[in-house]
Amino acid sequence: MRRHLRMLLCFALVGMMLSACATTGTTEKPYKFSQQGTVIWEDEFEFVPPPPDWKLLRVEEGENDINFGFLRSDPGPFPSLTTFAYDEEPFGCTAASFEGREREFFRRFLFNAILQFQILERRKVQVVGGEGLQVDVEGKDPVKGEKVRARVVFGKRGDRVVGFYITQWRPMDGSYDLSAFDIFGKFVSSFKFLKKSFYETL
Amino acid sequence: MEGHERNLYLYDRFNARVLGVSRDDVITLKYFAKSLDLTFPLLSNVTSFLGVSLYAQPEGRPIFSRRTIIIDQKGVIRYVRDGSPDFKDILLFLKKLNQEGGKP
Repeated sequence: MRRHLRMLLCFALVGMMLSACATTGTTEKPYKFSQQGTVIWEDEFEFVPPPPDWKLLRVEEGENDINFGFLRSDPGPFPSLTTFAYDEEPFGCTAASFEGREREFFRRFLFNAILQFQILERRKVQVVGGEGLQVDVEGKDPVKGEKVRARVVFGKRGDRVVGFYITQWRPMDGSYDLSAFDIFGKFVSSFKFLKKSFYETL
Repeated sequence: MEGHERNLYLYDRFNARVLGVSRDDVITLKYFAKSLDLTFPLLSNVTSFLGVSLYAQPEGRPIFSRRTIIIDQKGVIRYVRDGSPDFKDILLFLKKLNQEGGKP
């Protein structure tokens, strides 16, 4: 009879939360362009890139980090900024259910900002070759006088939930530029996995 | 922590169990676990002897350093990494360790 290992994984916890530091640009380009004009990212993902005025966003290695994304400074006073990203490990632990993951995700999404979110729309969508869930929200911070409109799309890669999201920040009296959401939509709808994920190969 | 929770099915596949150790009190850990929907054990070690024995207790500081430790079935420490857990590295190590344990 096969002997089972009984391994113990211990953690000494310094803090209960970990925040990531965003950086833009890399020393080596992790992408190339296909003949069709799509981006091949680290030979793992393929997608339609945003227009050139969007800057590449990468995040240092660590827990709960996004893989990559794009950001654009919008006209208008602070905090006029739009960011979207692909996230291999979105907040939350419930792997099987989009609805469960949504509940967990919004418990921590933009948690530094302390926003009151309002769900604007929730609907099923097709993403990365399967069923997904798209959630539109708006959050407001009356103390700072800021607001954010966001769209989160949950999909599946193998057994695990992955996420795409866009956030657009504005002063409370500012207006949103929904054309950025169309660019995000093209990014998401064009997104393909070119190979199995690390977790699927274990 | 959520990363470990997401990987529980893989830890199970590799015959591994995960637990957390902190100097926080039981009540704090209970609410922390609830806030993140964690299902694996979190141990409260207020007196810090576990952290001291695993060299995760910096001198003069009230909290443990963040450290990931893998102990095999014989009680031998096989893996130590400081800082944020590298989940892919952990999983590959557990897979390797499990394969070693499975050999006759």
